[in-house]
Amino acid sequence: MEPNVEAVQPQFRSGISGAKIVFDDIRGLIPDPPETDGTSFTALLELPPPQAVELLVKEDFPAKTMPLPIFPSNIALIDRASMFSVFASADNPPDRTNIFSASSSVKQEPLESEYHRNSSSPAVSDQSLKSIKRKEREKKVKESTKKSKKVVANEASDGSGEQLPYVHVRARRGQATDSHSLAERARREKINARMKLLQDLVPGCNKISGTAMVLDEIINHVQALQRQVEFLSMRVAAVNPRIDFNFDALLAVDSESSIDNSYLGLFPPSIWPEGQTNGSRQQQPWLIDGLHLPSMGRVDNSSNFITPENSLLSYDSPANSASLHSSQLKIEL
Amino acid sequence: MKARMQMSSSVVKQEFFKKWIKGMQIYSAFNKEMTIMERKRAIKLSADVAIASTRSATTQWSRAVVADVSTSAAGAARAAAEEILGRKLPERKALATTCSKKIVRRSHQRRSKAAARGVVRSSAAIAKKLVRNRTRVLKRLVPGGKKLDEISLIKETLDYIACLQVQVDVMRHLAAAAESLDHQQISF
Repeated sequence: MEPNVEAVQPQFRSGISGAKIVFDDIRGLIPDPPETDGTSFTALLELPPPQAVELLVKEDFPAKTMPLPIFPSNIALIDRASMFSVFASADNPPDRTNIFSASSSVKQEPLESEYHRNSSSPAVSDQSLKSIKRKEREKKVKESTKKSKKVVANEASDGSGEQLPYVHVRARRGQATDSHSLAERARREKINARMKLLQDLVPGCNKISGTAMVLDEIINHVQALQRQVEFLSMRVAAVNPRIDFNFDALLAVDSESSIDNSYLGLFPPSIWPEGQTNGSRQQQPWLIDGLHLPSMGRVDNSSNFITPENSLLSYDSPANSASLHSSQLKIEL
Repeated sequence: MKARMQMSSSVVKQEFFKKWIKGMQIYSAFNKEMTIMERKRAIKLSADVAIASTRSATTQWSRAVVADVSTSAAGAARAAAEEILGRKLPERKALATTCSKKIVRRSHQRRSKAAARGVVRSSAAIAKKLVRNRTRVLKRLVPGGKKLDEISLIKETLDYIACLQVQVDVMRHLAAAAESLDHQQISF
């Protein structure tokens, strides 16, 4: 990248006009860190963008005389500075035309078009989000374009469509560089990333390629899940005359272990899951008793509705620690 | 989004289960005798509100579900929902949305006219059309999806699918457990 940019330089050194000096000098700063003639490049960088632009806008900007403490040769910062200059020039139409005349003609068109778009698209926050994304993309290795004019175009296109100079996207080789396609591409990439996540979530979607098919699968999955919820709620409703499951004790178990284990543990006493905590182990004798003696179910719970099933589940014997749990839970509920 | 997904599923399941049971208990406190359809409706509503509340209004779909319930719910349903959520639901009148038939018809005619003119366009255009149709269907399926843009729609769908899965798992376990208990009882 560096040599290309250097090659580009001479073009910019040619013209001289008020605001254009800023532009030139910023370009000129690129290969020569110790050069002192430059705008307060780093000062610009440290400032938040609006203030930086303000600085640039000031016409009496003695470019040559400003000292330059440190010069970071980061391309991203250079781009930002170039964008500052673009905006500075944008405020003064005559200067802008000067700049354009000085630069290569290839650069001119994208810049102009971008400027028009800039003025017409004031939505900053949305764009700043996009621009952050583009910054990330810029960090990845991009194929450097061989031709210098491509480089110019790329750098110019970085000022695409934003009021605030955040975007530092390099268009890849052979791809359009105007702001619309860049925005479109950012959006596409976001969507594709999310679709990938969805593909992982929905079973059987990994092999399918193509957004439409994947969406199809996703829709089927969602519909299937929703239908399952309907059927299951019907099933649960059909099970007993009242939907008041008194699962106090069950919840006590759940608070210490997963629900699945507790379900398994409750009903087939022979298959008591391992790794249960103390609470559940204490309830074990109770459960076995409860299952064998359904008539003994006398429930001490908050609601009045007792079905045989409920009594089974919430069987409390005074000597049993389960009662402790259920009373605790009642307080919670 | 990733942070949400990493929350352990068993924690969510427990939370959902507790809230669901809570909701169902409120229901039964209200009406002692319910027909099977009423029960089913109660169960479904409790489950939906419970799973939406596990997201605690961080997602669009959960907010839409709660809003749905608050507009269309009656006495017992509202009480159950409030109990599950732990807050009062604002009283809202169901908006009567009237569609002007003329406008709808005209828009359809215009679209069909354009479609009739075009023959098989490029494959990209066909693909785009398919995707657009499917996106429309998905918007209809996901609660609150109508007003979402494509990107957030996908995000919401992601979350919604995960939560639906949790809901289905827990409900299935409860149903199986209750049924097996029932059978054991009957066998006695």
